[in-house]
Amino acid sequence: MAQKYFLEILAVVAVLVFCGLFLYTSSTMTGAEFAGSDNVGSGLIAQLSGKSVESFTPLIPQYEPPSGEIESCLFALQAALGGIFVGGVFGFWLGQSRREIVTENM
Amino acid sequence: MHIMEGFLPWQWCVVWWLIALPCLAFGVWQLKKVMEKDREALPLLGVTGGFIFILSSLKLPSVTGSCSHPTGTGLSAICFGPWVTSVICAIVLLFQALFLAHGGLSVLGANIVSMGIVGPLVGYTIYRLLKDTSVNIYLTVFLVTALADMFTYVTTSLELALAYPAEVGGFASSFVMFLAIFAVTQVPLAIVEGIVLALVFKYIVALKPDILIRMKIFSEKQINAARGDA
Repeated sequence: MAQKYFLEILAVVAVLVFCGLFLYTSSTMTGAEFAGSDNVGSGLIAQLSGKSVESFTPLIPQYEPPSGEIESCLFALQAALGGIFVGGVFGFWLGQSRREIVTENM
Repeated sequence: MHIMEGFLPWQWCVVWWLIALPCLAFGVWQLKKVMEKDREALPLLGVTGGFIFILSSLKLPSVTGSCSHPTGTGLSAICFGPWVTSVICAIVLLFQALFLAHGGLSVLGANIVSMGIVGPLVGYTIYRLLKDTSVNIYLTVFLVTALADMFTYVTTSLELALAYPAEVGGFASSFVMFLAIFAVTQVPLAIVEGIVLALVFKYIVALKPDILIRMKIFSEKQINAARGDA
């Protein structure tokens, strides 16, 4: 049993430890804002080059989501798209293997 | 791992685009060949590509007090190799550059090199090294995905350090500074990603072992052993 579901158990434990770590850091660490590391990286670029973050303007003009709501909507859309692919294919494979069993029994 | 639009001097944008473009062209050619050879490969591409879409949209908090996202490129690198993976990554990164202001068109080349080329290439190398050994296939999948993820962020740090060497200590010292931001944040995420994708691979093995054997991703003996004990 434990052997058969080793990976499942490991995944659950890993996710729980991950959540625990997050709760621990967010409650103890001061100045932990959980901003994106992309933004933290951009801050370091500004510091290294001696220019302010605002002085870096896009080389090619780009669309920016007007608010965090819209941004999270688009991210959710991206994840949903991936989820449809994954779920669809797993369902297709499951159906395929069922059909094989049925035809074998006929 | 996104370098933000405008934060990379145009000379470096050109350099990374020049590296990325031939890889993408080769990936498209390879993708065509795989599809012609075996139509059953298409669903497998759907699953591995789907996980890149899902995982790269999840921005997770890490121990450094900032957030970062996994890449999910390992499975695709194992099943289709690094070049086909670059093509999928390019699609995801283009979506994020166009609609989300994560990355941008000028830095897209650099972002494709880190997430779509170097990460998967490192993963694929590990897969090839471990493939014919007695190492458990789930351990192989774990190592490939976790390290593909890690090296994506190491590459981002490298790209930024090359463009912005520190005044004191030059390239090496700014590389260390960028690593501290990108790579350290990524360690716990990479470990969790590795475990989760190993679990996903278990389900692929359970549902569709024949495609993995036919595409020679793992040998029949390895797949049967994996179905037996996990």
